[in-house]
Amino acid sequence: MSFIELKSVVKRYGTNQVLRNVDLTVEKGEIIAVIGRSGSGKSTMLRCINGLEPVQGGEVWVDGVAVHDASADMRALRARVGIVFQSFNLFPHLTVERNITLGPMIVKGMPGEQAAALARDVLRKVGLEEKLKSYADQLSGGQQQRVAIARSLAMAPHLMLFDEITSALDPELVGEVLLVLEGMAREGMTMLLVTHEMSFARRVAHRVIFMHQGKVWEQGPAKDFFESPRTDELKNFLRAVLH
Amino acid sequence: MIREVAWQDVMYLVFAIRWTLLLTLLALSGGSLVGLLVAAGGASGSLVLRNLARAYVGLVQGIPLLAWLFIFYFGLSIVGFNVPPWVAATVGFSIYAGAFLGEIWRGALISIPRTQWEAGLAIGLTYLEQLRHVIIPQAVRVAIPPTVGFIVQLIKNTSLASVIGFVELTREGQLTTAATFQPFTVYLLVAALYFALCYPLTRYSRTLERKRRVVH
Amino acid sequence: MAYKFQFRDVFAQQDAIADGLVLTLQLSATVIALGFVIGTLVAAVLVYAKPWARGLAHAYVEVIRNTPLIVQLFLIFFGLPGIGIRFDVVTASVLALTINLAAYTAEIVRAGLESIPKSQIEAGVSLGLTGPQVFRHVVLLPALKNVYPSLTSQFVLMMLATSVVSQISAVELFHAGSIIQSRTFRDFEVYTVIAVLYLGLSLVMRAGFSVCYRIFFRRS
Repeated sequence: MSFIELKSVVKRYGTNQVLRNVDLTVEKGEIIAVIGRSGSGKSTMLRCINGLEPVQGGEVWVDGVAVHDASADMRALRARVGIVFQSFNLFPHLTVERNITLGPMIVKGMPGEQAAALARDVLRKVGLEEKLKSYADQLSGGQQQRVAIARSLAMAPHLMLFDEITSALDPELVGEVLLVLEGMAREGMTMLLVTHEMSFARRVAHRVIFMHQGKVWEQGPAKDFFESPRTDELKNFLRAVLH
Repeated sequence: MIREVAWQDVMYLVFAIRWTLLLTLLALSGGSLVGLLVAAGGASGSLVLRNLARAYVGLVQGIPLLAWLFIFYFGLSIVGFNVPPWVAATVGFSIYAGAFLGEIWRGALISIPRTQWEAGLAIGLTYLEQLRHVIIPQAVRVAIPPTVGFIVQLIKNTSLASVIGFVELTREGQLTTAATFQPFTVYLLVAALYFALCYPLTRYSRTLERKRRVVH
Repeated sequence: MAYKFQFRDVFAQQDAIADGLVLTLQLSATVIALGFVIGTLVAAVLVYAKPWARGLAHAYVEVIRNTPLIVQLFLIFFGLPGIGIRFDVVTASVLALTINLAAYTAEIVRAGLESIPKSQIEAGVSLGLTGPQVFRHVVLLPALKNVYPSLTSQFVLMMLATSVVSQISAVELFHAGSIIQSRTFRDFEVYTVIAVLYLGLSLVMRAGFSVCYRIFFRRS
């Protein structure tokens, strides 16, 4: 079985059909960029993968776990799947260090000193070692997002999900975050990114997925994807965003 | 003599509600007068008035209602007025309610943004005209839900008037207990009657609060 | 005015006042501590529990908040013996006051809990934390910080409300008034002095809560 498998996934909000029969497979080590208009279902699909949103139909398999099954051990899975949000969602009442050590210490039972050393390591990876004792509101948007990435990395995940993580940042802060992502890609992390950063997707992703009206409309290797779109909807979308 | 709680007793209790409501009304009237002064002073431009209002509210809210009732009950008779309990109660409650209402209304007044004042000024209104046509109508809408909520507090607070001898619902409950030796039934009934008075008002104030939030 | 104020007689009764003050402080401290913990648990039920539990908690809060404290006190102290449950004066006082404070605390803390954005909870859940763990580490402290002013105001109000247990003859500060009254016949002066003492207590409490805020919620 592939690392991630979505089979005929259906998701509704009330009467609003957000995902209509989504099929997707992702292998370990792949880097997938997901693009599309707002409302196309891309963020929802991401949130279905780590179980933040329940599905009404179909199957969601992640690392052998049946996410669509209400009795699945989501806690264990979530310790292996990291997610970074558009609005960072750092815990404002905790220091950067405590934000990072909270998961390892409570979920994995890691002793305090080991967790503190781990926090220093992941912060070094994202280039923010000196901000260990700072609080979120003392950091810029780009720094907060990098801490959010570090917080997820501290759980040693097998898969990282990114939900438009640069959309809420001022343009000049986007670069530092993308740099961190490129580092993770080089180290072979399996990554699924919902993003608007087309040039980043073209450079770093293995495969790109275009979502439209709740379906996987078109997908292909990153190299050809932007040069030779096949469907009209994708052609229109690319024309609109790549001006 | 121990006897069952008869319908007659229930009726006496229900009729005692009149006095509870009357006292609430008196407290509301007196408290509104005081509250208007406190709110106006507290929201005014004068530092002296604002501090006076703050001092008044701080003083009143820092002392238990029971103490205020006793102070006025005994104090007024010293100053020469031999007052029946209901007068002492009314004065005490008015002083007490005035502080809380004043705070609520002051909050409503200062919640109206500066820009509303400026808009009024820009079309040529005087200070009083601004107050009357622009500020107060909006402030009233803001103030109504918490004021209704406070009326519920007042109804409950009138139960303390029983301590200085005023015969309202709680005192009637004590008298009925003495007559029937059925304290559990009687006080349960008294509680139920207060609940019947207060709960609808509580619900109403919440509906008002929700409507206001939707509009704004 | 033909009356001469005689405060000296009241001050001579400082033992009665001191004893009353001690019980008021003990009652307040106990009731606030218990009421806060129970109220927070009830708030958690109100926000997170299954519908039947939420309904029960909601009913409890509504009944307490829509009936007078003195009636609740009388029901517990005078009423319960009618069905065979007897409490001494202090126990009945603590029980009635705590049940009362917990209900008001629950409402306030509930608002605090609901003010925490869903995204914070999602971030905690996504790290693999269980519900109770998210509550304890992510939600609780920021929620309490948000409602700290209303919460501490309620605590001060409860300290003042302990005066009501004088009506079941608990020998706290307000009851000291009636003791001194019967000894000195200085009604007005007695209650004025007691009022000033309550005022002092409330000011000290407020200052204390201010300090607590800086200790628990101030960051470096």
